[in-house]
Amino acid sequence: MADDNLYEVWGDTVDSRHLIASIAIGAACSLGIFFLAEHLLTGWVESAQMARAYAMLLGILGSLLGGGVSACLFKPKRHVVEHVADPAWRQQVIEELRSEYGGIGQLSELPPEVRAELRELGLEQLFDEAEPASHTRTVTAPAALKGGTA
Amino acid sequence: MEALFDQILMAALMGVIGAVVFSAIGLISGSDETTTLAPLTLLVVLLGVPAAGVFTFFLAGAVAKHMTHAVPTALLGIPGDTMATPLMREANFLRNLGVPHIALRKMISGAVIAALVAVPLAVLFAVLLAPFGDGIKQAAPWVFLAAATTIAWFSAGRWASVLALLPFVLVIIALQTFTGQHGVKLSVSYFLGIAIGPLIAALFAMLAPAERARMKRSEPRTFSLSPDVKSWGGWFPNPLKVLDRRQSGWTLATATVSSATFVFSPVAMTVILGEVVGARIKHAYHRLTSVISVRNGVTESTYIAEALIPLIAFGLPLSPVAAGPAAPLFNAPPRFTVDSATGQVNNLHNLLSAGEFLAFGMLAVVIAILIAYPFSMNFAHRAASFVSRRISHEAVIATFVGLILVIGLWEGGLLGLLVILTIGLLGGFLQRFIGFNIGVQFMGYYTAVLSVPAIIALFA
Repeated sequence: MADDNLYEVWGDTVDSRHLIASIAIGAACSLGIFFLAEHLLTGWVESAQMARAYAMLLGILGSLLGGGVSACLFKPKRHVVEHVADPAWRQQVIEELRSEYGGIGQLSELPPEVRAELRELGLEQLFDEAEPASHTRTVTAPAALKGGTA
Repeated sequence: MEALFDQILMAALMGVIGAVVFSAIGLISGSDETTTLAPLTLLVVLLGVPAAGVFTFFLAGAVAKHMTHAVPTALLGIPGDTMATPLMREANFLRNLGVPHIALRKMISGAVIAALVAVPLAVLFAVLLAPFGDGIKQAAPWVFLAAATTIAWFSAGRWASVLALLPFVLVIIALQTFTGQHGVKLSVSYFLGIAIGPLIAALFAMLAPAERARMKRSEPRTFSLSPDVKSWGGWFPNPLKVLDRRQSGWTLATATVSSATFVFSPVAMTVILGEVVGARIKHAYHRLTSVISVRNGVTESTYIAEALIPLIAFGLPLSPVAAGPAAPLFNAPPRFTVDSATGQVNNLHNLLSAGEFLAFGMLAVVIAILIAYPFSMNFAHRAASFVSRRISHEAVIATFVGLILVIGLWEGGLLGLLVILTIGLLGGFLQRFIGFNIGVQFMGYYTAVLSVPAIIALFA
């Protein structure tokens, strides 16, 4: 997969050559089936209007087929990595929570069920250690701490 | 008796189809509600499915989608659809803490609770509002004009959107007159053009050298997929145990509030109610999990209420959801119509009673929960992995292009296609550059069909 044809279209990356081919496939499948169905069904189904409605339904199934064919032919242009949060990231989240999300708060204020949930997730200690800075209840303390770790 | 049984069976079957189809669509990130719910519901209407079946298909689809959209949002860090965007911040914090499965479970449990309370509440509010229905129907052209202006002002474009309504409405009228001269009367093509506008605009931009240079990327996007941890036995964890008591309480309360406020933008309600709850919780972890449960609950309840209340009380699409994704429930000519001159409606409003809306609404919600909830609880990781590794964006675009071609040709031949292209390009660019969003564009369409004839009559 050459990377020099990559573009961001409608929220994700595509390869322009694959995009053109996919659009052609999508158009061919949907229109081919639509026209074929219309031709065959008119005269076979009683009302012409229903024949067209069924042809449309088949045409839409055709567009799904076109999508399926494109999905088989062209692999996604995404780099998917299995991600495991590491401890350093967690500390960074704590800092962001403290500075942008209105403080950390104290474990002692939590209902027991929430504490139990944190313990099960192995996050109790993390939030427990994050506490002292918010004990002082001053505006400068969190800022100083953030400056210190940055 | 047998007829009633048949009706219920049909409704249940359509509900199952809606829930399965939209559970799958919810997994595809960026699959907007309007672009997917509106055309498929329209198809169901036009194929002649009985009223109850149309309704359960739409509602089960919407409810299921707003559960499975939690999968890409929590595990991939990309919003599952438009309604998932206000959940990104909390979802990303929880993902980086290494507990994305908690984000996922809280979100879908909030959705279950909210969906269950929203249907009866929406029906109740609709019944309370119904006495004003006749007055509103008679004033419909002016109500739509006012609604279009208000929704435009509340969009990102503010005054630009309000003023852009004028040329946008004019283009629709011009196109209608033109196709009318050739004996072609279109409506679906306008809906589809508006809904798919951003894609059409993006494809045109690709053809222009300067824009293409801006869209160029040097490497594929990287998605980090979080691992999934299953910590319960069986298939159906109790949502009331996944949320703690206070979270369930907040979810119930916000679902109730958002069921009543049906005229506001669902995204705005989701943001605001999340903030209200967040401001009342001191501990950061508890705040994250509560806000994310509440917000996803609100995505369900606003959607349900915004579709149901106008439908039951007035039969007129007087909310952003009713004018957008739920539009085919109101207006799908030749089967469902809203008459411009008189405000006379012939749609689900006339075909189902308030009691039937309640019964079939609950049926749809229960079906959606039975399908989407255990699915997202148990298969989230595998589903997210499959979609991100196997379904290329090219394939998604190819499917939508096929959809545009078939629907356009079906409704109006070459003229239908040209209308989709024109409206899509205009609407897509207006959204991209001034924030004239899809909801405002739909209201613009209704202004053109409903308000403009009344304005012209006034001056004639």
